[in-house]
Amino acid sequence: MKYWISALISVVATVAYAQAHLPARDIRVEWDRGSPKVSFSAKDLADESVRQELSSGLRKRLQVTVSAHFKGSNRRMAVRQFTCDVTRDLWEDGYVVRIGTGSLRFKTLDQTLDHCLSVKGLFVGEPQSYASKEGREIYFYVRAEFNPISKKQCQELIRPTAGDDPVGPITISIVRRRICQPERTLEFRSDFLKVPE
Amino acid sequence: MSRFERKILFAIGLSVFLALGGSIFLAQGALREVYQVGVNERFGAELVHGVEARRAQLMALRSSTELAADAVVWSVEATVRSERDTRTLGSLLETLLERYELIQAIRVTDSRGREIAGVARPAATAGQPMRSTVREREATVGNGTLRIAVEVAVPEMYFARLQQAGEVADVYSRLQRQSASVSDIYVWVFGVLVFIVIVVAFLIGAILSRRVTRRVTALADASRKVGAGDFTVTLPTSARDEITELTQAFNAMVRDLRESRTRIEYLQRISAWQDFARRLAHEIKNPLTPIQLAAQELAETYSGDDESYRRKLEHARAIIEEEVATLRRLVGEFSAFAKLPSADLSSADLCELIQAIEDSIPAMLEDVGHGTVAPVEVRVSCATRPIPVRMDLMMLKRGLDNIVRNAIEAAYSAKPSGGGRVLVRGYATGDKGFVEVRDNGPGIPEEDWDRVFDPYYTTKTEGTGLGLAIVKKVVLEHRGEVRLDHAPEGGARFRIELPLTESR
Repeated sequence: MKYWISALISVVATVAYAQAHLPARDIRVEWDRGSPKVSFSAKDLADESVRQELSSGLRKRLQVTVSAHFKGSNRRMAVRQFTCDVTRDLWEDGYVVRIGTGSLRFKTLDQTLDHCLSVKGLFVGEPQSYASKEGREIYFYVRAEFNPISKKQCQELIRPTAGDDPVGPITISIVRRRICQPERTLEFRSDFLKVPE
Repeated sequence: MSRFERKILFAIGLSVFLALGGSIFLAQGALREVYQVGVNERFGAELVHGVEARRAQLMALRSSTELAADAVVWSVEATVRSERDTRTLGSLLETLLERYELIQAIRVTDSRGREIAGVARPAATAGQPMRSTVREREATVGNGTLRIAVEVAVPEMYFARLQQAGEVADVYSRLQRQSASVSDIYVWVFGVLVFIVIVVAFLIGAILSRRVTRRVTALADASRKVGAGDFTVTLPTSARDEITELTQAFNAMVRDLRESRTRIEYLQRISAWQDFARRLAHEIKNPLTPIQLAAQELAETYSGDDESYRRKLEHARAIIEEEVATLRRLVGEFSAFAKLPSADLSSADLCELIQAIEDSIPAMLEDVGHGTVAPVEVRVSCATRPIPVRMDLMMLKRGLDNIVRNAIEAAYSAKPSGGGRVLVRGYATGDKGFVEVRDNGPGIPEEDWDRVFDPYYTTKTEGTGLGLAIVKKVVLEHRGEVRLDHAPEGGARFRIELPLTESR
């Protein structure tokens, strides 16, 4: 029992420490029919190297994940993610941005980044996610990633050799996790706010 | 956990750890080397060059389409004189479409936006997807301006290949950047697996070694018990290995110790009884002659006339002489017991003893029958092959005489009118020679078996209780054993065991 309590205290302390050291940014939050709509910019994810990569003519991914958490907890109340697959069109000038099944075309990279990294009025979760939590302090966590390799693609690119070697699959799994991480990541959180009553 | 077990486990752990730990150390360098060979800068640079080449190819194609569109404009301007010369324009467009593979279609509109000419390739039937675009141009013809839309296309495959090459180069570049950490991951995973193997090997070793150490510990505990004087310890001997051999030897040693101690204790007890018998005989024997002489003198020196008193004197003298005679016999037996010599062993055949007994049986039968031959059937037999033992024939015969005499008496007392049987036989089994005497008499109750060999213990009215004590003493001095149990015939069975001097 003593050990469980110690472990619990450690986890809470770790979470509190992590939250305290996550940079806070100005994230505008509006509540619309019980759901929060967030607006923020993560354009600084695109530094010079990211811009070069985006202009290479190869498809690159920009992924933004926004999640809502209680203050002092890591447990997610709600999450929203969107992904832009950006390709500079070598055939014609401009950038093709694929979001889901649809695609858009932008003339410049800045327009593309505005669309993918400047978020305006994004709903995070359904009203029921916040129901009966009125008055509690929450925060929004934003993680913007450049070019994370998807799990499926990663599995296709890094495969274990054939055979019954027991080390291979375990190692490959760890290597995949390491290699397929985003090339650049930006993390920040909102200020703490209360769920309106 | 015993110290021995801890040492064994330490040895197992050390062996496994050194072997597998050493392999990790060696594998670490090998893995890094292998990784460096597989993922190196040259390959990475080549992959990047491949991507650049594909990109350059696409850009070249794009330039080609631009040039093709320009070529269409120049050809139109050079060949067509006016917007109305649609015939010349049509044939020119056909020629241009044929000349430039990248061009899929050309449409020409006049300054008012009406299409005045156009050509297009038939739609491709093959499943190869194409990416097309339209290059817009203007051509000055006469006084007017024609708008020319040139549709160009390249296979989508070129873009897909560029993307594919880019992704591979990207992953390779990541692998290269993480070179040190990836090889470390391999070493770590290998190390963890090796650690699991070490733990499993250690556990298996512990389980297996515990089977041995437990037995060794049991041996040590048993040795301590034996040291403390407990000779009843016996350890199980189920397995077939050196420890079992050691355990068997230990059990044999404890058995020998137990038997030796029993033998020594019995001989010490007998020795004490012999001392007692010697003193008793001495103290009783000395006054017997004066008592007898005094009684005789009293009877012979009476000179009175009282006949009745004379008869009383005579009667008293007769009683005294009879009791003195009995006492003399007892004293004689005690004295003989006290002076019982130690056995003088020499090599002999046990059947010689059987033969000697057989020779004395007629006298025994007559003795037991008080002058007439007792109606008891005595059968004597011995093995056909010699039974080599070390024995004192005379001493052993004296002891065996007692047993056979007791058996005849028991059979005779049970069946005085005949039917009594006694069997005396000599044989050998394993490393022991046996003399067995059994009868069909009343037997000896089991509760008396522990005491029958004690001196002065007897169930007979006229016995001294020394006969079986002498037997046991003699047999023990032969490093043998005498045992008593029930005979198959219903009486008692005595079995004398003597160690064989050589295997048969």
